Formats: sequence, C-alpha cells, structure tokens
Amino acid sequence: MLEDFSLEIEMGDHLVLKGASGTGKTTLLRLILGFEEPTAGNIYYRGRRLENSVIHNIRKESAWLPQDLNLGDGTVKDVFGYPFSFKVNSSNYPGTEEIFKVFNQLNLGSEIWEKNFRDLSTGQRQRVGIALCYLLKKPILLMDEPTSALDEDSRKKAAELLLDKNTTVISTSHDSWWIARCNKIVEF
Amino acid sequence: MGVIDLDWLQLSISFLILGIPAFILWKYRTGLNRKLFSATLRMVLQLLFVGFYLQYLFEYDHPLINISWILVMVVVADFATLDRSDLKRTKSLLIPIFLATFFGIVLIDLFFLELVINLPKFLAAQYAIPITGMVLGNCLRSNVIGIHSFYYSVKENRERYRFYLALGASRKEAVFPFFKEALKRSANPTLATMATIGLVSLPGMMTGQILSGSSPLIAIKYQIMIMLAIFSGTVLSVYLGIRISNKFVFDSADNLDESIFKPEKES
Repeated sequence: MLEDFSLEIEMGDHLVLKGASGTGKTTLLRLILGFEEPTAGNIYYRGRRLENSVIHNIRKESAWLPQDLNLGDGTVKDVFGYPFSFKVNSSNYPGTEEIFKVFNQLNLGSEIWEKNFRDLSTGQRQRVGIALCYLLKKPILLMDEPTSALDEDSRKKAAELLLDKNTTVISTSHDSWWIARCNKIVEF
Repeated sequence: MGVIDLDWLQLSISFLILGIPAFILWKYRTGLNRKLFSATLRMVLQLLFVGFYLQYLFEYDHPLINISWILVMVVVADFATLDRSDLKRTKSLLIPIFLATFFGIVLIDLFFLELVINLPKFLAAQYAIPITGMVLGNCLRSNVIGIHSFYYSVKENRERYRFYLALGASRKEAVFPFFKEALKRSANPTLATMATIGLVSLPGMMTGQILSGSSPLIAIKYQIMIMLAIFSGTVLSVYLGIRISNKFVFDSADNLDESIFKPEKES
C-alpha cells in the first residue's frame, strides 16, 4: 500500500496525514504501533529500528485514538478507568474532579459518567476518547480522524487540549480545519 | 434389595421406546432420524467398548494402567475441545489445552481421591476412573465455552484489544476483560446446576449409586463431593487452558495469531 515513502517526525511535531481513503494513512499508524509488519523498508524510533522492545516502548509512551472507539460494555466510569489500571499508567489517574473538568471542556456533561459507553453517540464516544488520551499525559498521540464526529465548537476545544507544544501528534484527517492547525502535513 | 441386572433381551426391549420419538421426528420432517440412528449406534458401540475396557481395568487395577487410561481420556478431550471451539488443531493450542486439562485433573484427583476419600490403593480404578470421567466430561464442556469465548472475543474485539495495547497495557492487562468474560461464561452453567441440583434433577452419579444399592445418604455425600470436584476442575482447566495457550498464540508484539481460527462456514 505504501511505496517509495519516507517520513521523519521530530518530537513536538503536530503531523497530519491527509489524502483519499484507502491510501494507507491508518496503515502507517498501525505500523508504528506494531499491529502490522512492513513487507519492505524500516521504521526507526529514537534511532532504533522498530522491533519488539521498541514497539513496547512506543506503546508505553503513546496514546492511540482509533476512529471508532470501542471500549466494550460498561458504564463510562468503568471503561474510562480501566486504562489507568495498567501498570504503566497507574500513577496518572487524575481523579473524578479532573476528569469532569476535561469532560466539561469538551462539552460533555458529567451525567454520562454513569451511562453505558455503548449508548453514547459517535461524537460523545470520540470526545470521551479524546479526554482519555489527554489525561493519560503521554508524550505521543496517534489519532485516526480525531475530529470526524465533532461539531465546530468541540473540535476547537479538542485542538486546544491535544495540540500542546510538548506533545508529538501524529494524526490522519480529512478535516481542513484540523489540518490547518497541524505544523506538518503529509499528503498521500 | 440387591441390584436387578438387565439381561441382553431386556436391554433390547428398551430400544422399542425409541419408536415414539422417531415417529414424531419423522411426522414433522425434521430429518433427524438418520442422526438418531447414527447417534444411537455410536452410543451403544462406545459404551460397549468402555464397559468391556472398564471390566479389564477393574480386574487388573494397576495405577499405571489407570493413569494411561486417564491420559487417553485427556487426549480425546483435548482434540474435542478444539474441534467444538471452532479452533484449529495447532500445536500452539493442542499442547497447552492438554497440559491444562491434565494438570487440572491430576490436582483434582489427588485432592479428592487421595486426600478426601483416602483410597486404600493409589488411584483405585473403581473410584479413579468414574470420578475422573465425570470431572473430565464437565471440563470438556467448560473448556469449549471458555476457550471459544476467549479467543473469539479477542478476534471480534480486535480493535479494543489493540487500543489497550496502544495505551501501554501488557498483554495480560489487555486480555483481562476477555479472560474475565470467558471465566464467567464457562463457570455459569456449573453454578446453575449446583443451585438447582436435587430440586430440578437427580444427578446421574447419585442415581447410579442408589440403583446399585448404596444408601441415599452415601450417594448424596458422594454427589456433593463430585460437584465440588467438577466446579473446581472446570474453573481450573479453563483458567490454565487460557493462561498456558496465551503464551503460544500471541507473537512477541502481542498480536494474536489468527491462523488458529477455523474458516467461517458459509451459511
């Protein structure tokens, strides 16, 4: 799918991959996370070739937001808290006050906390995912179409939270508003 | 009253009753009569074989022969578990499921036969074979539910599993919700049986003991023990089956080897 392709990403870059569907944007994110293996070519992370130990390091240092987030059956409270129970994230648990503050910034009412995650709208699920990625405080964010189900106000607030100068953001997008806010654009 | 033995003629007469369900199934064109015939034939042949074999086992009653028979039962259960779970017979699954079932059975047998009943002879066939058979039969059923549920959930929820990995979860942390669900699903049928036993149904072992002349009180004590053995054995074998096989069916980047799944049948 990806041929004759080369890309370098600096720490702190806000990079967006744009282009028609099916050109390999999401595949590139999956390759970085080690969910697929390249048939040819290499990926390097901090100067080391992408192999198992490096893949595990990337996963520890990153947060991933897929286009259609599925956190299973359970209340938002249950499914939101689960990633913070992982050993690598356990010290980052923010507490409900902080979570509700971020929810509020993303136009999410605290009443969704007790709702079943499956019952939320696509836009609400996406915002819950954005809140989760933000609160995990990872230096790298990989996001597949992070604003695809957001209204204008919500995407502005999402960009304020996510496009921080200390965070490296690698995203795919068709949204010209989001693309304009990224400092590196790669066309597929 | 002693045991009333059935002679072969009496046993043959009992087959006449099958005429009623066969007629009903034929009248409603269920197409099940061919299956009924082959299932009945298989049942008779398998039980005749086991009956003669058990007579031989009981006659010699040697621990090594008994253990060999238990091993044969575990191997058959191992293949049956994978076949009924819609998983391929790969080494990465056959060996772990065999080990899990075998260790589960050995632990349960040693605990109940040697510690609780305290058999005068190590692994005496009269006790070891039927009790192992009952526990193993239930382990098979639970393993099918548990192993199928676990691997198919991870496959169907691949994105969710990967999402956890991508947030830094270890493989153990990422599969935890699927493991939990598989354990619940596999333990629930035995729990439901335990909760209704004696009220809704009289279990086979207890009925067999009463028919062969034991007092109902002895039969009940054995039945309670066997239910504890079945529940512990099933949970243990599902737990070990998933834990051990997990070490072989994920690659070093924690991606599930999806070649373990049988191709979907076309409907």
